[in-house]
Parts: sequence; C-alpha cells; structure tokens
Amino acid sequence: MKKQYDIVIAGGGVIGAACAYFLSKEKDLNIALVDLKKPGNASRASAGGLWAIGESVGLGCGVIFFKQMTQQRAEAEGVDLPPMRPHILPDCFFEFALKSNDMYPALWQELKDKHGVDFKFEKTGLKYIMYDKFDKLYADSIVEQIPGLAEQINWLSAKELAIDEPHINADAIGALEFACDHQVNPYRLNEAYLEAARQNGVELFLQTPVTGVEKQGNKVTGVITEAGTLSCKTMINAAGAWAAELSEMATGIRIPVAPVKGQIILSERLPKILKGCVSTTDCYIAQKDNGEVLIGSTTEEKGFDTTNTLPEIKELANGAMRCIPELKQMNIKRCWAGLRPGTPDELPVLGKMDGIEGYINACGHFRTGILTSAITGKLINDLYRGQPLDIDITPFEYARFLKQKNEQQVPEVAPELA
Amino acid sequence: MTESKHGVVIVGGGTAGISAAAELAQLGIKSVVIDEAPRIGGPVFRGPFREAISLPHLDENLCQKIADIRELYQKNQQYIELRLNTRVLGPSGESALLARHQDEVFEIPYDQLIVATGCHERSVPFDGWQIPGVMLLGGVQLQLKSGLVKPGQRMAVVGTGPLLPLVATQLHKAGVVVTGVFEAGKLGDFAKESRAFLNRPMLALEGVGLLTYLKTNGIPMHYGMGIVSASGEDCLTGITVAQYDRDWYPVKGTEKTLDVDCLAVGYGFVSRNQLTQLLNVAHDNCQISGLKPRVDDWQHSSRPDVYIAGDSVGILGGEAAMMEGRLAAISVAKQQDIISLEQARAKAKPYKNLLDKVKAFRAGFDRIGRRREGLLSLLTADTIVCRCENVTRAQIDEVIEQGVKDITSLKMRTRAGMGDCQGKTCNSYCQDRLRFELKQLDVGEIKPRFPLDPVPFSSLYKEIL
Repeated sequence: MKKQYDIVIAGGGVIGAACAYFLSKEKDLNIALVDLKKPGNASRASAGGLWAIGESVGLGCGVIFFKQMTQQRAEAEGVDLPPMRPHILPDCFFEFALKSNDMYPALWQELKDKHGVDFKFEKTGLKYIMYDKFDKLYADSIVEQIPGLAEQINWLSAKELAIDEPHINADAIGALEFACDHQVNPYRLNEAYLEAARQNGVELFLQTPVTGVEKQGNKVTGVITEAGTLSCKTMINAAGAWAAELSEMATGIRIPVAPVKGQIILSERLPKILKGCVSTTDCYIAQKDNGEVLIGSTTEEKGFDTTNTLPEIKELANGAMRCIPELKQMNIKRCWAGLRPGTPDELPVLGKMDGIEGYINACGHFRTGILTSAITGKLINDLYRGQPLDIDITPFEYARFLKQKNEQQVPEVAPELA
Repeated sequence: MTESKHGVVIVGGGTAGISAAAELAQLGIKSVVIDEAPRIGGPVFRGPFREAISLPHLDENLCQKIADIRELYQKNQQYIELRLNTRVLGPSGESALLARHQDEVFEIPYDQLIVATGCHERSVPFDGWQIPGVMLLGGVQLQLKSGLVKPGQRMAVVGTGPLLPLVATQLHKAGVVVTGVFEAGKLGDFAKESRAFLNRPMLALEGVGLLTYLKTNGIPMHYGMGIVSASGEDCLTGITVAQYDRDWYPVKGTEKTLDVDCLAVGYGFVSRNQLTQLLNVAHDNCQISGLKPRVDDWQHSSRPDVYIAGDSVGILGGEAAMMEGRLAAISVAKQQDIISLEQARAKAKPYKNLLDKVKAFRAGFDRIGRRREGLLSLLTADTIVCRCENVTRAQIDEVIEQGVKDITSLKMRTRAGMGDCQGKTCNSYCQDRLRFELKQLDVGEIKPRFPLDPVPFSSLYKEIL
C-alpha cells in the first residue's frame, strides 16, 4: 500500500534539511525528504559564514557585486567613480537574519547532545578591513545606517588590527568589526540537520529526482519521484536555485527564483592564520575548522553554469593576496561554483500561496541560506502547526511580487483617469 | 572546409597521444601535445629519467618500444609542438584549457581536443596498506623503469592481471628476491579464457614466456590467492596472504606469512577521467575501468570537439591506445574535411580490426580479475581509507548506517575525497563499498574540482589591482 505522508519536503539542502529537523522534533508527523545532488547545490558550495550584520549591509558575499554595480553605474553615467555606498537590506531582513543568528549557539549544543552531530560553530566575528579613506567612508556610512546595532560594532585601529590579526596586510588602516557574526561548516550543518531529522523519523529519499507534482484541483496531493509517488497533505518547496521549476509544477506559477553563480577559492590546509572572518571590498576570507582558507565570491547571472573562469578566480586570488600577503607562498587546492537561489529583492520566498492548498515555499534564500536556515526551519514549523510566528513573514510571502506589479501599474493608469 | 584557428590539442604524450599526433602529422595536420612529465611515452614507455649505459633489468622488447615511440615523435616533429612539464588544470571557457608550466598559468586554446590522459592505479585498502614499503604495482614498475632504483630487497607481488608476472620478472632481473606472485584469479579461470587470449597470440606467448621465466628462476606463481594484511612498525616487515574463495574472501586457515620489505599491489587501474568530467562529456560506469567517458567507434565523445583515446576511455593497454590514438586522429581529419568518409573508413579499418582483437583478449583478463566483494573485507575498523583526510573504515561504516546513499553525501559527512588528491586514492573503495551495500551500480561520482592540481596563489598574482 502506498504510504501517506503529512509532509514531503522537496530539496535536501540546508533549508529543506532545517525544515525537516524542526518539523520532526515532536516526532508526531510522517515526513519524507527528497533530494538529488546536482552541480552547484548552494549549501555544499557555501562559505558557511553566519554574517548576520555583514550580509545585511552588503559585505561578505555581495561585496564584489556591489562594487561592480557602483563602477558600472559610474561608467554608464560618465561620472567619476563615486565613493562606494553600502548596500543595506530592509529592516525586515535584519530582524530575520539576527533572530536566526541568535539560535545557533543553542542549536549547536542541541544537535551535538541529542544527535551526536557537530556542525563546527565557531565564534569568529567579522572584520571589514579598510585600506584607505574610501574604505573608511564606506564603513562610516554602514555604521550610520544601523544605529540600533551599536553594541555589536567595534572599531579597530591599525595597531589593534595588527595585534589581533598579525597576518593581515600591515598597510591596512584599521577595521570595523561585527562582534556577533560567526561561522559554521556549511556542509556539516546541512548534514547535521539531515541526520538529526533521520533520527527523528524523517524518511530520506536521497539521490532521488523529483519529476512532477500530483494535484487534485488546486490541492497538492503528492510528489512524483523516480522512487515512486510520495502522497502527502503538504509539500514544501525547498528546491534552492531549482525552486521556480518546482513551484510551476505544483502551482502553475513560476516564483521569481533564479540561480546566481558564485565562484569560490580554497587554499591548502594552513596553520591558523586568521582568528576571525574577514571582508574587504575585494572579497571575503574565512579560515575553516580544518585549516583551509576559503575566499569568495563572485555574483554572476549565468543560468545553471558552474564552471570556474580564470579572470574571476584571479580577481578573488588577488583580493586575498592583498589582504593576507603570505598567501602568495601558499597553494590553491580547489575552486568551485555554487548557485545561490536569487530573488529580485534579495529576500527569501516563505509561506503559503493564495489559492493553493498543501503547498509551502521555503526558498529564495540567496546569499544567506546557511545563516537563515535555523529561523526558516522554525518559522515553517510554526506556520504548518498554526502557531504564532516569531516574526512577521508578510514581507517574504510570494504575494509581495503581485503587489509590486500592481503598484507599478498605477502610474500607467493614472494619467487616463486624470 | 572547417576553418581551423587554434588547431588540435592533445592532452597526454603517452602511447595514445603520440600515436594520434603522428597520425595527424601523416595527414598534414599540426598538433600541440601537452604532457606533465619531462619525457614522452607515458608511464609505460617513458623510459629512464636519466640516461643509463645499459638497462639489464628491462627486456629488449620494452627497450625497443621506448625507442619506437621516441622515433615516431621525431619523424613527425615538424608537425608536433611538444609542451612537456606542463600540467592541465582544467577547461577554461568553451574552447581552451588552462595549464601550468612552472610558475606560469596560461590558456591553451583548441578547435579539437584529443584527451589521452591514461589511467591511474586502483587503490585497494587492507589492514596495513599505508605502511611504508607497500606500493602499487605500477609505481614499483616506474621505480624500475624510470627511476632506475630497486624498490626493495625482498618482495612479493599480489593482485590480478597480466602485469603481475611481468613486474615479478623485471624485479628479479633487477636483483630483487621475489618470494612469490599471488594472483587472485583461479588457474581454472585462466584455462577457460584461453580462447580469449588467442585473439592476440603474440601477447599470449609473451605471457607464457614470463611464466616460464618465473618457473625457471624458482619464483612461485600462486593462483586463487591474495593479500590479507601487511605488518611492520615504521616500515614493512611482513605480509599475510591466503587463498581467496569464489568471492575473494580470504579462506580461514589458509593464511601464510612472508617476510618481505616491499610489496607490490596491483588490483587494476582506473581511467583518469578528471579532465573529461570537467569537460562535461557523457560518462558511463564500468566495473573494470571505473567512470569512463562515452565514445563512439571513432573515439568521438558526446561533445563535437572532444575525442578521447587510450586508457582514459577504458583500460585496454598500450597496443589499444596506439589504435585508439590513430582512430581519433582520423576522426579529426574527417571532421576537418581533410579526408572523406570513405578514406577515413579505409584508413581506420586495420586499426579497428586490431582494436577488436585486443578488446577480446583483454575481456578474458577482465572476467578473471573482476573485483569481488571479498576485497572489501580486508580492512579493520581503524584502517585508513582516505589518506589525505585520515578517514577510517569505521567512519565510513557509520555514515552508511545513517543511510548515506551516494558518494557526495559520504564525502560531505566524512571528508573522504576532500583532500589534495581529490579522491583518486579512496574513491575506488568508497564506491565499491556503496555499490555493495546498496546493490546498485550508480552511487554518484566524486566530482573533480578545478584546478586538477594545486596551483600557487602567486601564479595568479597581478601587480596592479
């Protein structure tokens, strides 16, 4: 007889796995998770930074992208390069990211104690390294825009930086540090959620492609896979960069999630050369738990392409050598590219969709899936069970895109009315 | 005629690569041959790295073949641009390779690419396999042939396949005491395959000659036996061998210990597929050769501009590599409209005929030496499987217990395959193990990463940012 699940989660990246973990904690639901490893899976490709403030103010992953955008705009407008302005995300994102960030110390302990899995949470801080007065201006304007987070911010003088991080370029004029931004091992976090979920009774269908969605009218009734149809009352779309295709199968609507390529460099194992995580305006740098130094990352719209390209790799390598000159004597062990699930407003797509039953979005986490996986798992669980939510998810619902469209249409209509 | 801007690039200056370049030269087509070593010929016919007055431990046949491949290159060298000591790091864009020579990293563009990257050895972990003195069979042979050093004083040879008696003979001629050769295949199986071996009577005869040499010199050849474990503190001092049952599990009570200071282990080879994987051509799983790129009768891959020849497209040995290299060259000439389809067919015919015979010959050994599950039983819980990341069998057991079903998840959870060698050493065990546990052939692949070899940061350094 065909088994009936309460929930089938499509996608076993960090978001799908987190949902599986939080939904299975009470062990009262029949849950299945379906996953297929594909080139570019973002959770495996991620750097593993928990840079709640850093990412919210456009450092870390996005920094090269915003630098390029500033340059392109200046070239297009034929003006001198303006001082780079930080790219600050809206308040709702800060709340989402910071709340998630707060969950990690306890989550780490919980997964270790209850399930024997360790995702290597490390308290590192994130330092924005400044080389010149433009970098300082950039840092100033970040601080200006986040007055509520003053207690998480430290200014380091050149001397203090040199003492704290002696391997960083001695020409640096100082650093701005976000005290609450830390790091984990991203694929261990992903596997830790999965293993804990499995221990809680979630059935894992790994290496299993999803080929379709079964529906009755406007209700999702099953997920069709190569291992057969998994009947369910609710399906969760956690398909990362592939989420648009799945939403179309389930709802007939293509949610605006598209792959955004990021290339990363990894060094050979090195002795400890960085105490904390670092971002410059060229790249970010994090030394991972096993000594490898990870340097990222580009932001490219190249569809599902995951090749590494020399100009971009060179750019990253030079940014890293500028920041840590000793790297010139070291080797690059591996490079790769991941596909972030990007959305037009850089915010995730969470929650139900109007007129569709048995379907929940948990996708579009763009650059911050590792960081926001914890709160996403918790929110989806609360939403499923009809419990009060920790934060208002209205800004993250699919409906926001419809609203934006309507608003854009207003000016077109207005003149005729007048 | 197709306009050729960058021409043909051949990766690998071994038997397949040089044969392809020579055939292209005969057709008036220039090519660039890239090889990581300081000499052409590949591991099999590269010869000594330094000149020696005489090579008494190498038979005349081999010396002749080393001379032949060098002559083949010299005769055609006005058509061949040879780039030695150059390592290919991976593709760069759609029609170029990224390569490294010393501290310089640069692109090599191509119109047509012939991949002839050969193979690497299949590591079979067992209790004690990481003790210094335990070596792979091909590595032992390279020490004799290219390094001109004796790998040990008192040795044993274990594994399966035609290379076992050959290496034992070469070791003996080099002055090593060979205490025994242990072939996992049963003698009866060899007898059953005699028809297959008759496809290449000369090769079969050579094999018989080697066996006669071993017998004459008192080196015992044991069939149906294989390795159990190796022992020694800082270096190898002894090994245990035993009879293998039908599934290659050691039979209790048949163990025999031998005092040796060096062991040659040869349970086969794996196609060197890292570059072809990065080139995104279609691949198939093969029990013998591992993951191998798919090619048609003309050595043409699933990509219109990529051809693959030699052991990198399935382990068949040097003679087949020569034929496949030449076939790839003829295909390229056909694609460039330098010869017609009829001309290509006529030229290819003798090569294809010989290739078919080699395949039939080789199939005999493949049936005998197909790896059996018993090989997976030779590890203790704390035997290290992944030597880069120090992952033990127990750690692999644990994640299989947790329901891991593919090689990528296994890698993520244990770090097996994440080291500098990118899984070339541990992948064979991990895949065989997953296949055995799950009873399915497809367990995913360790995806190679760019760059295929580590590169210094400094090779990417730009003065002005």
